[in-house]
Amino acid sequence: MKKLLLTLAAVCLLGAAASAERKEVHILSVNDMHAKIENMPQLAAIADSLRGLYPDLLVISAGDNRTGEPLNDLYEIPAYPMVILMNMIGFDATTMGNHEFDSGAEGLGKLMHMSGFDYICANLNPAPEFGIYPRATEIFDVNGVKVGFVGAVEVNDRMTPDTHPDNVKGLSFKPVLETLQQYKWLRDVCDVVIYLSHIGYDADVEISKDLPWVDVIIGGHSHTAIDGGEMHNNVMITQVVNRLVNCTHTTITVDNGKVVGRKAEIINVADYPKKNAVVQEVVDYFSNNPAFQRVLATLTAPMTSYEQLGCMMTDAWRVETGSDIGVTNTGGVRYDYLPAGPFTVSDVLRLDPFGNDTVQMELTGQELKDFLISISRNDTYGFPKVSGIICNVTMDKKDPEKVKDVKITWPDGSKFDLKKTYKVVTNSYSAAIADSPRKDQGRNLNRTTASIIQEYLEHQGKIDYTGVCNVFQTVSKK
Amino acid sequence: MKVTVNRTTVELFEGARSQHAVLRYLVHRRLGAAKLHQGRIYDAYGHEIGLDAPLREGQIIKFRITK
Repeated sequence: MKKLLLTLAAVCLLGAAASAERKEVHILSVNDMHAKIENMPQLAAIADSLRGLYPDLLVISAGDNRTGEPLNDLYEIPAYPMVILMNMIGFDATTMGNHEFDSGAEGLGKLMHMSGFDYICANLNPAPEFGIYPRATEIFDVNGVKVGFVGAVEVNDRMTPDTHPDNVKGLSFKPVLETLQQYKWLRDVCDVVIYLSHIGYDADVEISKDLPWVDVIIGGHSHTAIDGGEMHNNVMITQVVNRLVNCTHTTITVDNGKVVGRKAEIINVADYPKKNAVVQEVVDYFSNNPAFQRVLATLTAPMTSYEQLGCMMTDAWRVETGSDIGVTNTGGVRYDYLPAGPFTVSDVLRLDPFGNDTVQMELTGQELKDFLISISRNDTYGFPKVSGIICNVTMDKKDPEKVKDVKITWPDGSKFDLKKTYKVVTNSYSAAIADSPRKDQGRNLNRTTASIIQEYLEHQGKIDYTGVCNVFQTVSKK
Repeated sequence: MKVTVNRTTVELFEGARSQHAVLRYLVHRRLGAAKLHQGRIYDAYGHEIGLDAPLREGQIIKFRITK
């Protein structure tokens, strides 16, 4: 009997020792939040709830935390609300997304200084003059398990992330794969190795074959909705769609320093039934931000038509981007009256609320004419609003919604050369819906059209569009 | 930048997003731009992607009207 008891005790002790070696690492990850601040209280509640179960939970972002929500992007310090909310939720780390650079190197440096979490990005060189000191790697001790992270941001042919070139002035980047390979040593010193990626799903799948030393890729950039985790080349890849619709809970099981299990599940953030009340209070504060009543310019006379407001919008894009001609689809002008007095940030966001990007292209006069007709055909609101030119539009008598002809002149009445090439600026919606043939489809200037209008109004100080009209319409006789 | 939507190749400005490719596809097929918000966009692997997903040269996406 005594022998049996001793054997049972030994078995229990061995079992206990074995379970002590098997540990779990829990990670809550998001990507491409794009400043969806109204879902942050739900994300905070999810983090709170998981921390109750797993006190060593890591909260991680795969980049593009900002850009996409005016409440955040147009704050006095752009993107400050997201940084504060991420601090409150207790984020441990983020990598750089291409949009982290949207307020320039100086803006990024300030935000990094305010952040209570690490920026892990191995292919961004430090820029001490801006206070930018990204970490190439970070090793977290999670309940005795060493979890190593290495991060990287996508770079284009110009070896910069996709943002306005001015935003990355003074910063330098390195190729992704070549850089990552320098951190293979993480495998030797860590139990778990995670690549925090902002290069997009396709690129993650491709690169996984070159990173056999990585256990998990927490990805971002392509806004890809992966249902949990997917195995590619024995590397698990996770990513969720953008704007905090979902997040991922990843569980990594480690036994005696070796990864023996990886699983990931999606948690719905947008419809999560609980909210962290304190985070909600802060979101409410940011949502009622008096900064949106900031006066950008004074209207000395009321603006009383879509035409006037459209002229102002396209003037703004043309002047601020150094273009010859500005064009917007009429549906992009969201109201037709603004009383004399202050023109505020809020007025701009109501006028141009879609978050459209600014696109610049080089068009011949003929291509421009076809472009305008094409927008007119595909936008249900009729002929576009323009700046820098005058359009005399003849509508078809048999089909009053169809443009029969457009005669373009310069504002002083002089002849417009259809063979010459002009710099044309428009919004991304118009550039997309106009399917007329043209040699240059243009390029995204990586600035929202609304932000350019704000800049224009601030530069103007006072504006008066009384009597301004750039598009005149008549109906054909036949 | 050339992108394929439902086997139709569309040419777009550099830095276009998934919604721009679908908009061009919709007007090209004369389906109307408004259909953009009546469907979902998927990548070549069949994963749903957001309306603002960045695109790269040669990318293949699918748009399915769901409403």
